[in-house]
Amino acid sequence: MPNLVELSHISKSFGGSLAVDHVSLELFGGSVHALMGENGAGKSTLMKVLAGVYQPDEGEIFKNGHKVSFANPREALEFGISTVFQEMTLLPNLTIAENMYLGREPLTAFGSIDYRKMNSDTQAALSELGLSLPPQTLVSGLSIAERQFVEIAHGVKADASIFVLDEPTAALNAADVEVLNKHIRRLRDAGKAIVYISHRMEEIFNICDTVTVLKDGKLVGTRPLSEMTPSSLVAMMVGRELRDLFPSRGQGTNGLLLDVKHFKIGASTKPFSLQVHGGEIVGLAGLEGQGQQKFLRSLIGQFQPFSGTVAIKGKALPLPVNPAWGVRRLRSMGVAFVPEDRKEEGLFLGLPIAHNIAIGLHSARSELAIAKNYRQLIADSIKSLNVRTTGPQAHAGSLSGGNQQKVLLGRYLAEGVDILLVEEPTRGVDVGAKSEIYKLLRDFAAKGGAVIVLSRETVELIGLCDRILVVHGNTVVSEMAGASAAEQDILNAALNAEAVVEQE
Amino acid sequence: MNRGLLRLLTGGYGRQGLWLAPLIVTLLLAGFLTVRTPDFLRTENLLNVVAQVLPIMITAIGQTFVVIAGGLDLSVGSLISFTTAVLAMDGPGYILIPAAFAFAVLVGLTNGLVVTRFNVHPIIATLAMQYILLGAVRLLRPVAGGTLPDIVLESVNGAPFGIPMALIWAVVAIATAWKLLYGTRFGLHLFAIGGGTASGNEQAARNFGVSDKRTMVLAYVISSCFAALAGVYLAGRISSGDPNVGLGFELDAITAVAIGGTQLSGGIGSLPGTVIGALVLALLSNGMNLTNISPFIQTAIKGAILMAVVGLQSRKKMGL
Amino acid sequence: MTAVLNNSIVQRLLRVPPAYYVFTILLITLWVYRPAMLNPNVLGVFVRQNAPLGVLVLGQLIVMRVKSIDLSGGGIILLVNYFISSGLFPDASLAFFAAIALGTGTAIGLFNGLMIGKRHASAVIVTLAVSIMLVGLVQFLSSGKPPGDVPSFLNDMYDTKLGVVPTPVIFWAFLTLIVAGLLSFTVFGRFVDSVGESAEAAHFSGVPVERTVVLAHTIAGFIAGLAALVQTASIAVGSVRVGLDLPILSVAATILGGVVFGRGEGGVWGPFFGVLSFTFLFVVMTAFGVSDPGKLIAQGAIILLAAIFYGVRLARSR
Repeated sequence: MPNLVELSHISKSFGGSLAVDHVSLELFGGSVHALMGENGAGKSTLMKVLAGVYQPDEGEIFKNGHKVSFANPREALEFGISTVFQEMTLLPNLTIAENMYLGREPLTAFGSIDYRKMNSDTQAALSELGLSLPPQTLVSGLSIAERQFVEIAHGVKADASIFVLDEPTAALNAADVEVLNKHIRRLRDAGKAIVYISHRMEEIFNICDTVTVLKDGKLVGTRPLSEMTPSSLVAMMVGRELRDLFPSRGQGTNGLLLDVKHFKIGASTKPFSLQVHGGEIVGLAGLEGQGQQKFLRSLIGQFQPFSGTVAIKGKALPLPVNPAWGVRRLRSMGVAFVPEDRKEEGLFLGLPIAHNIAIGLHSARSELAIAKNYRQLIADSIKSLNVRTTGPQAHAGSLSGGNQQKVLLGRYLAEGVDILLVEEPTRGVDVGAKSEIYKLLRDFAAKGGAVIVLSRETVELIGLCDRILVVHGNTVVSEMAGASAAEQDILNAALNAEAVVEQE
Repeated sequence: MNRGLLRLLTGGYGRQGLWLAPLIVTLLLAGFLTVRTPDFLRTENLLNVVAQVLPIMITAIGQTFVVIAGGLDLSVGSLISFTTAVLAMDGPGYILIPAAFAFAVLVGLTNGLVVTRFNVHPIIATLAMQYILLGAVRLLRPVAGGTLPDIVLESVNGAPFGIPMALIWAVVAIATAWKLLYGTRFGLHLFAIGGGTASGNEQAARNFGVSDKRTMVLAYVISSCFAALAGVYLAGRISSGDPNVGLGFELDAITAVAIGGTQLSGGIGSLPGTVIGALVLALLSNGMNLTNISPFIQTAIKGAILMAVVGLQSRKKMGL
Repeated sequence: MTAVLNNSIVQRLLRVPPAYYVFTILLITLWVYRPAMLNPNVLGVFVRQNAPLGVLVLGQLIVMRVKSIDLSGGGIILLVNYFISSGLFPDASLAFFAAIALGTGTAIGLFNGLMIGKRHASAVIVTLAVSIMLVGLVQFLSSGKPPGDVPSFLNDMYDTKLGVVPTPVIFWAFLTLIVAGLLSFTVFGRFVDSVGESAEAAHFSGVPVERTVVLAHTIAGFIAGLAALVQTASIAVGSVRVGLDLPILSVAATILGGVVFGRGEGGVWGPFFGVLSFTFLFVVMTAFGVSDPGKLIAQGAIILLAAIFYGVRLARSR
């Protein structure tokens, strides 16, 4: 059977670091193709090349045997390639119908946009997906799941033959996932090719036929899923040297540093409690968007929890926290929060490494104080973090992903806090840097600090953490020791909790 | 206060932004003037209001296109003066009028290209253009004077079939803008570009295949052309070319746009809002003339209304 | 084209604020063609005229560094001018006037800052509205007529010199030094760098983002109060129009000096030379007999070229 689309030897690099390295991939009609790999393995970049967001540095794309290239996603869509990205691409100030038709709006005889046709066709496309949203609704008024469905409907509407779904279920609940799977199967039966990116093993084995694994931008291999088991797939993703990546676990704990009691994220969610002691690393695991991040970010005031008490080193943190002051408040109590998105929330890419590290120290002081230069401290930091750079004055943006992540972590380590709240410590980071980052976190704990890590990579949590808390439905549903936890246990804990929620 | 009502008042619904509050202000002003002075509702006075508001309204309408797409055009004031100077060059109307508009297109193209191709902040690009045009108009016509083609005078001051020209101008300007903004792909694309910019994803519209740069350039051209239109009208009213007649118009236009609820961050705004905003300004000055309130306080009230409107809207992000 | 831009020397040259180039070119032009104009006394008079602008620029550059803008300086200057020249406070001392000017400026700056930093209202609109209100207020108070005279001691001070350098110029340079110190040696300066580069990252670094913006505007208001004192001293009589074009000019000079919204390579001395460039542009054009309109065109063209220069560089560095 001829392939529908072939990506041939695609390479793409950003500022010197190779994100995708000579990867080839064939997609066939009537098949759901899983694309797997750790975060930063190059999946999203490869798919963005296919979608026309990025132009490949090397390599070619063939559609039905003809060479094609796209300057932008719109052109890709014209060639029948529809993509639903992780990050939201819909325009919030436009209606659903306008978003569906943007760039190819139907016109009336007078040259006006034919809103009647647009709205009725959109209505039809939405109801095909079982959605009863009025097409005139502004996207800003939709939930995240609803936006995902609108994006999928967008592709259906454009009569695409290839659908790329980049973590489509990340923000969906079980019922919505089921609806989505139904549609994916229907698209498959209609002869479409579907690329499915997800971290949920369960889903991959449920719905996909073939799997391609990427690692560090390189192709590891493509196999029929019928030949694979979850564990063989994980082995393929992380390689055999997995155990070597992680430092040995902690040697017992000392005093209670963080004490969370009867914490309710929302009005109708189950309360939970958690304790973190000095010397231990605690991981928050679970399916995407189940409240792990909401919990951490309610401590810095980004979300207002419904109720609960939080004590840090015995002192109460009054809730809710003022969002403008949350980070500073925690800092004054000896807690640092390391945000997930190092490019947007973390680093000052256009400023020197020195500034990026020292700003955490500066911000604990009064505005009118004389700024210390912290020269020695910065030099020591760069050394102990093992940042590969030309010097402290080099801009953070000039570093590779792994070194950037180390600089970010270095900022918070330099603050001399007792508790670290870390989101995605190794997102988009190569294996070498990962190992170094794990060691930095473990060293911090070994000196008596407490760490809470939130990660989408269950394997990472298992290797790194002393204890793992499984979060589901905005509450902690299970706790296990890192040393004995297996990926399947964690997934089961989450899915069982889901089943319980469903029954209720 | 009722939450829904508050949202409605502050423009929480839709992408028209805040328009109800300014409309209420307009009605209150009109109501106040009706009660205070019997002269207000006389046809003559109402026409006078239209004639007064027209140049600012036309300029502000053009500005609305740029602002909705997330830009700003500060060059319109000088362009208005320049247009009056071109028209007063003592030539035939069939040459001067097209020449004035051709020049406006050129200005708009330059603004648009500098902003889109060279990554220059719109405030800076159009501010520089404002200086250049101000210099140019003072070279062309150092002091007010000159004679205008008859056609300009007639088309501004005449009253065919008893309908005053000012009214016709207003209807034509609003109708044209309405068609451009709400009846074309271009108009929707302006909202799309502005919405992307405001939500921090400048690529968003381009990813849908919207040719954002070209659309943006066209927005600047439209702003310039509406400014030139306002220039033609003003020239007809003062019957001469005047290098200073457009001074401060860019700020008045932006004031009208902002009072009408259009947000400077882009993506949110409306044409009716701008018309209302211009009406508020006109009623203020007309009202001050009719009543015995010091004319000098009207500027302060104008500022206060602007501040109230911008204070009512709350945005997620800080910014210009 | 790309090859040329990638060259490291070209790279380094591109990083120098345009104001230095413009200033150097103008200086050389004068030196070659009109050496007689390079007389300290003559230049002093010209530079002195731009001292109010130079002072105002110091505030403008701080707010532009945190990605904001302040158009209210004109209103502040007008109001302070009114307070001093209207005879509301007969026989008041310099200290009293200074207190009034600085108090007014600081209060207005604080208001701007709260609206922009806490309410997240549009900086252009807020400061424009403040300016309109202040202008209206002064017009109302003075019924549109110019108020009386400025106390003579202010103008006398304005005319003094230290050696060949006029006192207002020394005051301006001294103030520039202080602001340069504020931005490079204090924690506040680090906060300004951070917020300008990325407000989001600054927030997660523990920088008090809103307070930094409020403080930047408050300082800008305070500096506008100082500019108002210098401006008032320079004109000797009250006016209802004085200083209204200064905010926009200060934005222009700041850009020429290499400070654009959020990016501060030009530091504090870049905009200082931006103002000097405007002054020298004026001198050179006058020396060559260029008319006032020609000067406006040249000014606009230089701002445009400086901005394009930055825009191209920015596009390259992405």
